[in-house]
Amino acid sequence: MRTFCLLSLIAVLLNSPQVLANAKNQELKIGISQEFENLNPMIMTMSATSYIYAMVGRTLTTLDADLKWIPQLAKEIPSLEKGTAVIKDIKGTKKIVVYWDIIESAKWGDGVPVTCKDFAFSRKVALSPNVSIGSKEVYTKVEKIEWDPKTPKKCTFTYDKARWDFYDMGRFFPLPQHLEEPIFNKFSNKKEGYEKNSLYVKSPTTAGLYNGPYKISEVKLGDHISLSPNTHWSGTPPKIQKVIVKLIPNTGTLEANLRSGQIDMIGTLGMLAMDQALNLEKKVKSENLNFNVVFTPSITYEHIDLNLDNPILKDKAVRQALVYAINREELVNALFEGKQPVAEHLIFPKDPWYTNDPKLIKIYRYSRREAQRLLDEAGWVPGSDGIRVKNGKRLTLTLMTTAGNKSRELVQVYLQEQWKQAGIEINIKNEPARVYFSETTKKRKFQGMAMYAWVSSPENNPKVNLSSKNIPTEKNGFSGQNYPGWSNKTVDMACENLDTEFSSQKRRELAIQILKAYTEEVPVIPLYYRSDVSVVPPGLKNYRPTGHQYSETNEIEKWTF
Amino acid sequence: MATYILRRLIQTLGVVILLSYVCFYLMTLMPGDPVELMISSNPKITSEDVARLRSLYGLDQPAYKRYLNWVSQISSGDLGHSRTYRVPVSELLGPRLWNTFYLSMLALTFSILVALPIGVYTALNPGSRMDSIVSMLTFFGISMPSFLLALILIIIFAVQLNWLPAGGTETIGADNTGLAGILDRAKYLILPVLSLSLQSIGSFVRYARGSMLDVLRQDYVRTAKAKGLSYHVVIWKHAFRNALIPIITIIALSLSSVFSGALLTETVFAYQGVGKLVYDSIMGNDFNVAMVSFIISVSMVLLMNLIADILYGFVDPRISYQ
Repeated sequence: MRTFCLLSLIAVLLNSPQVLANAKNQELKIGISQEFENLNPMIMTMSATSYIYAMVGRTLTTLDADLKWIPQLAKEIPSLEKGTAVIKDIKGTKKIVVYWDIIESAKWGDGVPVTCKDFAFSRKVALSPNVSIGSKEVYTKVEKIEWDPKTPKKCTFTYDKARWDFYDMGRFFPLPQHLEEPIFNKFSNKKEGYEKNSLYVKSPTTAGLYNGPYKISEVKLGDHISLSPNTHWSGTPPKIQKVIVKLIPNTGTLEANLRSGQIDMIGTLGMLAMDQALNLEKKVKSENLNFNVVFTPSITYEHIDLNLDNPILKDKAVRQALVYAINREELVNALFEGKQPVAEHLIFPKDPWYTNDPKLIKIYRYSRREAQRLLDEAGWVPGSDGIRVKNGKRLTLTLMTTAGNKSRELVQVYLQEQWKQAGIEINIKNEPARVYFSETTKKRKFQGMAMYAWVSSPENNPKVNLSSKNIPTEKNGFSGQNYPGWSNKTVDMACENLDTEFSSQKRRELAIQILKAYTEEVPVIPLYYRSDVSVVPPGLKNYRPTGHQYSETNEIEKWTF
Repeated sequence: MATYILRRLIQTLGVVILLSYVCFYLMTLMPGDPVELMISSNPKITSEDVARLRSLYGLDQPAYKRYLNWVSQISSGDLGHSRTYRVPVSELLGPRLWNTFYLSMLALTFSILVALPIGVYTALNPGSRMDSIVSMLTFFGISMPSFLLALILIIIFAVQLNWLPAGGTETIGADNTGLAGILDRAKYLILPVLSLSLQSIGSFVRYARGSMLDVLRQDYVRTAKAKGLSYHVVIWKHAFRNALIPIITIIALSLSSVFSGALLTETVFAYQGVGKLVYDSIMGNDFNVAMVSFIISVSMVLLMNLIADILYGFVDPRISYQ
């Protein structure tokens, strides 16, 4: 009897739906390793939240996988040529007025139409001093939203100045005014009152909160989110009937879950380390596993900032020699099997401003001889142990990065060896990410070189990183991210002009001016562009990872499985 | 006895208040704050945004003022909001505390049920072949890193055999109730419980064996045997009861961590417990979550020590609380 009971128990356990669950076309389980927060689009700060929100909420425009702005809730992207965007002189200031038409059939999940009111309401919320929105400028760049009550989907947006990037509305999210306004009115006078009492917190499965192809059917913060199709969605109907986004913080367990069939795919937010992804790709081939490992070069730019206050690094010849002395092609091939492309500079190859034309910018090909020549000319001569010296001082630099990041630590060792061959001694000093980013880089406390990555977007003015106004100092409260401390008048001017230049050709020319100075003066050593990794079943169609902050889930309705 | 308990409870309260300030202050000394973490994920945040957010969150005030604000908030019954997840702490912490409690209690109970009989048996047969085998296995259990054991269990039982889920807390969307719900939760608990227990079984066996061996050499055990008492009475009534004092201490200390969570085990098994939440809240400067978890952990340690002290009196009548 006892044996029978035990066998029955095992049978029940083994035959339960979960163990047998292998997603058919009805269900897709996506594994991610990044935490997500509540889905109020105005307050969200985590990448995983944006990833999930793109499945349930849309706004006027977004950036697609080809790095092109495309309309989502808007009928089309307005333009000066068509007259749907007009530059006007308003009270002595040139401003741009843009006419946005919302798709007629766009509705919230409860059937209420999405209108200009929802955009105006979200702007009103963002402007409240008691709402902890991260970047206010996303909303304050629009000064006024007007509409005729008879045509509530035809909105007139007046921007604060004449902006050429008026179509960048990917982070200007509408809020369902019919649901959220009473809450805002009740709690807006209390600090963080609205966001604590919003329906996104109190009742996140309310269908009317979402206007995307899916709506939320279940949320367990720190564990998973379940999504089901939004019946009021007017775009391409989603093919997959149920989507579950499952948080598995440990990437080893994430892989085990994939292989045991508990999840169907690992999204780009799975954040598999490059070595793990490469190993998994090999296992997929050797063990005939039914997955594709997808590597997508992203706009995340891995580089080394040089502290230009360092007496050795003040010399341009030394900085150029540092770049010539490293074989970056070999580095990405040896460590990443060529899956992460070499970076010539900070602008990503798909960006309209990109160039690798040697007539326009300085291109560095590995040449130890050129590195040695430059160092000889700069007065650094080889010492008895091969390390160069000048006036009795050794050519020694400190290279810092985030401790525990395996890829970066491997790159460090690789570079250390290559620079040693050129007579440059490198001391490695790593710190926990928290100290490194909050103190060392932010306050420019690194003595020599600091390796890390930054994320930008296409046609992004790099003034935060390159303008001399953004060199962090105690005086300016360490604001700005020009950590090398680079000051170049041409670059400063070009950064200023980029904001107001409406001609795309002229903008590109300004960007190339910046790139020319950047590659000539080498305030930063470009390394490579990181790749986003996802692991998907071969049957998943129309899956296009983007490599930028507007994730592939912006097209989830097109996925078929 | 009542005076003793009251005195200890007052001491406990004092220690909790003192330590809570120390913990709060130490967290403020860590580099970075929640706003800086926001900047790292959003390069478009301007210095004006930073100043605005710091003021809104009260981060521009000195540590003692922020602590007093937190105390006044918590004394009114409001545990505050999680800065990371942007939901009330009670909503976030409550279910996870229970998940951790189930996991830790099951692991502890399983460990005690397995370890005590083995410990007593090996103490009664020191030097036997079984004693040697058990010693070897216990050292293996103690020295095996828990994350490695967890990964091995996942590979064997989830990936290779496909008998059990590789991780999670319960089947998503299954909505099981009653027995089906219990079985569903059980399925997800087997591997984490095994992973947690194997280590504690090792140490409990060593404690039980050592303590029992000590007691068996005492004069009163020899006297009991000389009086002609039965073997069972000598072992279980005279020896085992006295051997329980150090074991109670160890179990009480283990009980104090039933709400603290097992960071590695919970992370590897993607189990929705409190361990990883607390770790993330400290790393992410999510003060409200970290402080509430801290208060629970400290209170549990102090309370369980008090319970252990009280239990000593029941086990050994020579201990007095005067």
